[in-house]
Formats: sequence, C-alpha cells, structure tokens
Amino acid sequence: MFNVSKETAPPFGMISPFFLIGSSFYLLATIFLLFLNPQYGHFDLAIVGWLHWFLLGFMMMVIFGAMAQLVPVVLEVGHFSVDLYYIIWPLLLIGTLVMSFGFWVDPFVLPYGGLLVLVSMVIFLYDTLMTLRKVTNITFTVKTVIASNLFLLAGIIIGFVMSLAMGSGVDIDINSWLGVHVVMVLGGYITLTIMGLSMILLPMFGLSHGFDETAVERAFILMVSGVIAYFVATLLAWEIGKWIAFMMMLASVSLYIYQVTIIYDTRARKENDIWVKSMFVGYGSLLASATLGFVYSLTASENFLLGAGWFLIMGFFAFLVNGHLYKIIPFLVWFERYSPLVGKQKVPMLHEMLPKRMANFQFFFSTIGLVVAGIGIIIANDDLFRGGITLVITGAVFMFASVRWMLNYGINK
Amino acid sequence: MCTITKEQVFEAVSTVIDPEVGFNLVEMGLIYDAIVEESCNIQVIMTLSTRACPLHQMITQWVREAVEKIEGVGIVEVEVVWEPEWNISMADDNVKKALAGI
Repeated sequence: MFNVSKETAPPFGMISPFFLIGSSFYLLATIFLLFLNPQYGHFDLAIVGWLHWFLLGFMMMVIFGAMAQLVPVVLEVGHFSVDLYYIIWPLLLIGTLVMSFGFWVDPFVLPYGGLLVLVSMVIFLYDTLMTLRKVTNITFTVKTVIASNLFLLAGIIIGFVMSLAMGSGVDIDINSWLGVHVVMVLGGYITLTIMGLSMILLPMFGLSHGFDETAVERAFILMVSGVIAYFVATLLAWEIGKWIAFMMMLASVSLYIYQVTIIYDTRARKENDIWVKSMFVGYGSLLASATLGFVYSLTASENFLLGAGWFLIMGFFAFLVNGHLYKIIPFLVWFERYSPLVGKQKVPMLHEMLPKRMANFQFFFSTIGLVVAGIGIIIANDDLFRGGITLVITGAVFMFASVRWMLNYGINK
Repeated sequence: MCTITKEQVFEAVSTVIDPEVGFNLVEMGLIYDAIVEESCNIQVIMTLSTRACPLHQMITQWVREAVEKIEGVGIVEVEVVWEPEWNISMADDNVKKALAGI
C-alpha cells in the first residue's frame, strides 16, 4: 500500500504559485467580461481569447496544481518526477499571456503562445503517463485519468495546429476543427477529470460509503464514446453523427449528475459548509448547461449555446474549482506548517483555516452574478449581462482575497 | 508479564485527532483492535475513513507515537486494514450527531 508522506508529497512552495496565479487569472477574467457582449457569436475572437485566458490561466493552472498533490492520492503511487511541476507553471503562464495577446491584438504571435502551452502540457502529460505506468490497481479514477490525458494530448495538438492556421496561414478548416478542439478539451479532458476526481473527493469530504457506482461508470463510457464519435463525425463531415455524439455527451452528463445525487444522499456529513454550497451551485449549473445545450440542439439559437457555455464555464467549472480550493489550500498549508507539530503543541483544525465570512461573500456575489448574467446572455440583454458581471467580479475579488488569506495562514504565528 | 491493557492503548490513541473532521480516531470508530503481547509489544489494527486519505502515513505515525508514550511499552506496530470497510455506523453517537448537524 502506497502512502503519501513528506517524501512523496509535493513541496508547498511548488504548488502555491499554481493557486495564486490561477485565482489572479480568475479575477482578471471576470473583469475582462465587461469588454464582451452577449450578442457576440461564439467564433468571435474576443470570446475565444477570453476562453483561453480563463481555461488555461485559471482552470488548467489550478487543475495542474491540484494534480501535483492529488495524483499520488488517487493513483496510489508516487509521481514519476514531481520536480517537473516547477517548469509547468511558468511555461503555462507565459504561453497563456502570449496566446491571449494573439487572440485580442495580433494573431501573428498565436503559434508561439500555443507552442509554450503545448510544451507545458506535454510535460504534465509526460509525468502523468509515466506515473500511470507504475499503477497496479486500476480503479475507476485511474481509467478516467488515462482517458482524459489522452484526450488532452489530442485536443492540444489540434489546438496548436489551429494556432498555426491563424498565425502562420497553415491551410485547415478552422471552423470544423474548433468543435473537435472544444469537445476534446472540455468534454474529454476537463469533464472526465472532474468525473474521476469527484469519485474520490466527494465521498472523502462527505464521508459517503457503500453507494452504487453504475451510473458514473456508464457516464464515463458514454463521454468517451461521445468524444470519439464527434471526432470521427468531423472527419467524415457527418452532421447527424455530430448530433448523436452531442446527445451521448448530454446523456453522460445526466448520468453523472444522478451519481452525484446518490453520493449526496449517502453522505454522513450533513454540514452545508462553503464546499457543499459551491458543489450545489456547480452541479446545478451543469444541469442548466445540459438543458440549454439540449434546447440549442433543437433550435440552433446562438444565445442558448452561449448560455450553455456560460453555465458550464462560470457555473460548473468555476464553482467546482473554487469550492475545492477551500478544501485543498487549507490542507496543503496545514500539511506544510502544522503536521510536524502534531503531538507537540495544539494545532488548528482545517475548518479554522478558512476565511468563512469572505468565503460566504464570494459565494453570494458569484452565485447571484452567475444567474443574472446567465439570463442576460440567454435573452441577449446587455444591461442584465453587465449587472451580473459586476456581481461576479465582486465575488472574484473575495475569492482572490480568500486564497491569499488561506495561503498566508499561520505565516506570522 | 505485561500490565498494559487494551483500554490504555485505546486511551492513548484517543489523543490523535483527525484534522479534517475534528474528532479523535477512537470515537470515529477507526481503531478496530489493539493486541498487547506478553512482551508488551503492541499491534494496533485500524482503518481510515477513505482509501485515498492523503494523511495515511502521518496518521499511522501519530498512532504509533501516541502508543509509544505508554510506560513500559515494547515495539509498536500499526496495521491499516480495509476489511471491514469503515462506515459512519462504527462511530460514537456524539460523532454521528455532530456530523449530521443534530
């Protein structure tokens, strides 16, 4: 049996930049929303640039930081080479800045930014795949890590070729491949990663035991099949195939939400702390996103597509990541600063290392803003959208302050 | 002849607190048994609330250190087992009530 110990757990100084940079990108991403318009189409470069800023600078940055700590936990083996994480965040940071500049100002630099991002992700994948070679116990989560990382590899290679097309004139049909890139990264990597990790983290934090996992296992098969089917349908330029693949992914998401409700029902820990509340809004947003996506598949209305994207990204992704930061950061800080003191002096409990009032303000403003701006997008009302964004920004300021508060806990004690 | 009792071992382990939930390991029901040999060597048999517990090794180390504080103790071994799997019914009533928010 493998144990996470001081020798195999990544150093705090290695992981903290991921979270600090991630929360900074999140705050700036919410501010940049003020420069977007709900009447933009999803191909608009302003939106594409914002998406890369958010998904690379915030989502990927935080996921990679979390994976540095979670890989040994969920795979039950030590990292192949955890030191590689020292070079992942600088490459990802610079690459994201250059790519965003490319989308917003000058497409010429896109391939350079894309290359830096590609290299950072290939390094991450190298460590993860080499670590996977040591795994002997193939659990459900291990399967999701294998599948999601292969999709990430395919997704970023396609993305890099697209950046070459935009910046250097390589001749490919960007519109066709954009869909595959989005499906591979959002469905194949991020959603599958969340699916796999959540089967460890949700029961662990909620103390749920003895529940049936059939729903999530079917959700996994449907998502993998859906992503592959979308790729094949694009190669064949088969529109009905794409629609079928899209429906498979929606069915996967529905089954996954059902699994989450099973875990929630069997939890022993009933306290509704900031983590539970964030999960509620996150999974509620996923449901809203799936519903809007289904409506879009029937109506082809751009507003429903943008609305589905809004609730997926600013609802599901953002609330799940931010909610888990309230668990992960205090644990890492406690592990670094207090675990050596256990048995020698009184040490704080993890719940004492949370800025509860700030966290509640963050939750309140972010949730109201998410809903108001989401409605603004769906009905194409600019005033409603901007009003909601103002609340989302206020929530992001509290999130940034909370992250700093948690990272600095105990420094002067 | 060793005079250390199983109760003493459980009392020693009850000083180890799970930092996530704030209860000690004994009232959580995580300590299954403590075998005290005639030589005063002690084997603690315990589980964890999840296989993925990131504090796995540290918790077993804290248990070992807590038992080693008992006077006259010999070698202390801590074995983590996964059968039977822990569930909330194994915890004391005060833990169940507190977690359920009653």
